[in-house]
Amino acid sequence: MQDWRRDKRAFGVLILPPSAWLVLFFTLPLAIVWVYSFGERGPLGQTLLALSFDNYGRAVEWINLSIILKSVWIAAVTTAICLVLGFPLAMGIAFAPARYKNLLLLLVILPFWTNLLIRTYAWIAVLRTKGYLNFALEWVHERIGAVLSLLGLPDLLGPFEPLLLLYNQPAVIIGLVYVNLPFLVLPVYATLEKLDKSYLEASLDLGAGQWRTLFSVTAPLAFPGIFTGLLLVFILALGTFLTPDLLGGPRSIMIGNLIAQQFGPARDWPFGSALSFLLMYATFVFLWIKAAVARQGGGVSY
Amino acid sequence: MTDIAAKPAVAAAPRRRRAQITPLEYTRRRWLQIVLLANFFFLYFPIVALVAFSFNDSKRNITWQGFTLKYYRQAYENAALHEAFTNSMIIAATSTLVSTALGTMLGVALHRYRFPGKGAFDGWIHLPIVIPEICMGVAMLAFFAAVNIQLGLFTVTVSHIAFSIPFVAVVIRARMSGFDEALEEASRDLGADRWQTFWNVTFPYLLPGVVAGALLALTLSLDDFVITFFTSGPGSTTFPVKIYSMVRFSVTPEVNAASTVLIVLTLTLTVTAMVIQSRSTRKMTARG
Amino acid sequence: MSKPSLSRFSRRNFLHGASAAAVAFAALPRRGWGAEEKKLNVYNWDTYIGETTLTTFTDTTGIAVQYDLFANNEELFAKLKAGNPGYDVIFPSDSYVADMISLNMLMPIDHGKIPNLKNIDPDPNFSNPAFNPGLKFGVPYMWGTIGVGYRKSKVETPTSWGDLLDSDKYSQRIALLADARSVMGIALKYLGYSMNTTNQDELDKVRDLLVKQKPHIKTFAPDSGQDLLLSGEVDIVMEWNGDIISTMEEDADLAYVVPKEGTQVWTDNICIPVGAPHPENAHAFLNHIHDPEVNAEIANTIKYATANKAAKAFLPTEDLANPAIYPPSEVVSNSESLVSVGDFTPMYDRAWTEILAA
Repeated sequence: MQDWRRDKRAFGVLILPPSAWLVLFFTLPLAIVWVYSFGERGPLGQTLLALSFDNYGRAVEWINLSIILKSVWIAAVTTAICLVLGFPLAMGIAFAPARYKNLLLLLVILPFWTNLLIRTYAWIAVLRTKGYLNFALEWVHERIGAVLSLLGLPDLLGPFEPLLLLYNQPAVIIGLVYVNLPFLVLPVYATLEKLDKSYLEASLDLGAGQWRTLFSVTAPLAFPGIFTGLLLVFILALGTFLTPDLLGGPRSIMIGNLIAQQFGPARDWPFGSALSFLLMYATFVFLWIKAAVARQGGGVSY
Repeated sequence: MTDIAAKPAVAAAPRRRRAQITPLEYTRRRWLQIVLLANFFFLYFPIVALVAFSFNDSKRNITWQGFTLKYYRQAYENAALHEAFTNSMIIAATSTLVSTALGTMLGVALHRYRFPGKGAFDGWIHLPIVIPEICMGVAMLAFFAAVNIQLGLFTVTVSHIAFSIPFVAVVIRARMSGFDEALEEASRDLGADRWQTFWNVTFPYLLPGVVAGALLALTLSLDDFVITFFTSGPGSTTFPVKIYSMVRFSVTPEVNAASTVLIVLTLTLTVTAMVIQSRSTRKMTARG
Repeated sequence: MSKPSLSRFSRRNFLHGASAAAVAFAALPRRGWGAEEKKLNVYNWDTYIGETTLTTFTDTTGIAVQYDLFANNEELFAKLKAGNPGYDVIFPSDSYVADMISLNMLMPIDHGKIPNLKNIDPDPNFSNPAFNPGLKFGVPYMWGTIGVGYRKSKVETPTSWGDLLDSDKYSQRIALLADARSVMGIALKYLGYSMNTTNQDELDKVRDLLVKQKPHIKTFAPDSGQDLLLSGEVDIVMEWNGDIISTMEEDADLAYVVPKEGTQVWTDNICIPVGAPHPENAHAFLNHIHDPEVNAEIANTIKYATANKAAKAFLPTEDLANPAIYPPSEVVSNSESLVSVGDFTPMYDRAWTEILAA
């Protein structure tokens, strides 16, 4: 790595155009939003420049704070479910015979390469009242009913009540888990892959059971990857917009939707800007935590 | 106690000689296999169902009524979808070209030079990657409204380039980290000037990274929804945004058909990317 | 080192590729620059045009139509508020026309370019409405009511808005509109107040009512209520009359009724926003819509009441006699139309945001 002064012209040529682009078309827009966040809303939705903290104050009013807390809750639940589903998946791939590893990895990543919108929309057909899940449940219900009547037993189950799984929080969580699962599986897999298997073997040889080994040896060793995955999923789920928009109901809107509403039908750009920045600050805080933990844990970077 | 002791009894079946499952071969255990299968079912079922039902002969698309290709034909004849598709292509092509060029420059500069404030600069460069998309989308909307630029192909393309540059830079930087600077020094010692050195020594090494970065930028642009949603106007709708509109308004198998086309397109591109990458790295390692 | 051949090849390749792309990009048709090209950008509600309207327009005038959709007035207003992104023709409802006029968002229309204006119903509600005197800033399109669409086999005939707004009888089987002023206006009417009140107390009562009802509402459907009803996702919806009536043709188990408290009577209009890139084409489009046969085809497809008197001659008598499409005078007199509330608008917006956020 050279010092930039030794090669000023080349350095300038290389770094100025992309930086200029990012300043003009990224930083400047963010700066404008930041300025707007201190502004006021005119009577018919115009944005008036001002110097007021009202918008930030509004953000912590209960009505909006509850949405923020709800978003945090949904993101947390999503992260937990991703861990429960994704960790065995990552373990399975990491310990798979070499010839299957790449194939399995590919199979996990492949759905990820399809469009987010399509992946979320696909769940509507599965979760709705007349969706595939309810069709399957109804089929099972009928079979059980048939068996019962065959055995001469009364109809214990009653008529079939479809599960209400769309336009509510469970739908949003399912959608978020589905979309973010690879973000947990990949870092965890990467760490497990690099793990020195002899530790695990030693633990098992010394008489610890599989579960004990898992919790006392494997998990702590794989912690950097697990933590990265958890944080990544949490941040992505927190700032999501499309999933609650398509799958959620009136009581499961999240911060992203609230922000979009302010820049859309609600026509309150200053408030939307304030919310937008609060979300960004939260994201930065979590990323900073991740960096701090990574540095502490020996600087394993991804 | 380990449950290995239970295994040999199972493995001793006379018909097939199975090697005893070692403690760490988790993948060979039935319960993990079931977990894996369940996971893959969870991952693939919705997409497979969506593709399957694009052939459904039913306007409401709730139950299977029969096989038909007519919704693909409808999608094909849908002028608005065509326009959206063309727009997606134009935007993606432009975005890929510009962001790959700018991203490569940035990646090389970051890898090669030390300068004051590099840490902060590095963090700033990575912002478009970590920032929630909704935040960037509304910021771009506010920006274009403030400077009075009408929303259209230009605004969408410009936004795509902005969020693609850091991704390309990351890929290039990763690629450069494996580069042996001694090759460049040797070239300079042998009399080549800086430009020649770059094109004849550095760039060929960089090429697979550039291709990977370009394909990444292409996919990011083609697939983007949130940011495009906030920066597009009439006549500059992209394919994903049009599908969103169709999902909101008229949910017929035509939506599934259009979605399937997009899936096939992105998958083909991605697979091509991986094939090119693996072949070029194999060529590189074979060569020397 | 055999590198030079590879690098020359790739450099040449790269330059070729780049220049080819540059040429292709430059050869692309320039959009929107120069004189008025044969294009028109229309921004309309979903399922709100005839099946042949656009094709006959293109056939007669040679103008290609780019047709985008919005779900409710708020969405339309928000899109245009930040500056017209390029639309030539929009379809706002009555009170929003007034708001847009006061914000100078609409272009005055040249009546000379729209000879078919003579076909508009001479009733002052259509030819000289309060929100658009003298039809200066737009022409009327369709009008109708908002009512209750329901599935007869699952729901007993609703007589009051309370079934949707104030009771848990059909919990989680209800869908409301996503139109802020319509939903709040109807709730105001249900509570006995005016739809256009500027009384904060009354607005607060409506907000509390809807927040209390929220757990029972499955979703605020942006123009898709009739689809949810048809697919069985919900069994009772607040929807525009034409949407429900056209779905009744697909499913005889559905019905439409206007509750006893009365409802909102709305009039949709066709306007040309300021900054429209093709105003000439826009005028031609407005004229085309009010051709009697074209208009009749639209009304027959979407099942709404038309403001075009001459078109009625081409409509089937069952539709003209259908009280759901052409509400009788008792229903109209018991109902109200929305008007602009001017400076009180932020209070409505605030109440709606609070309802959605709760």
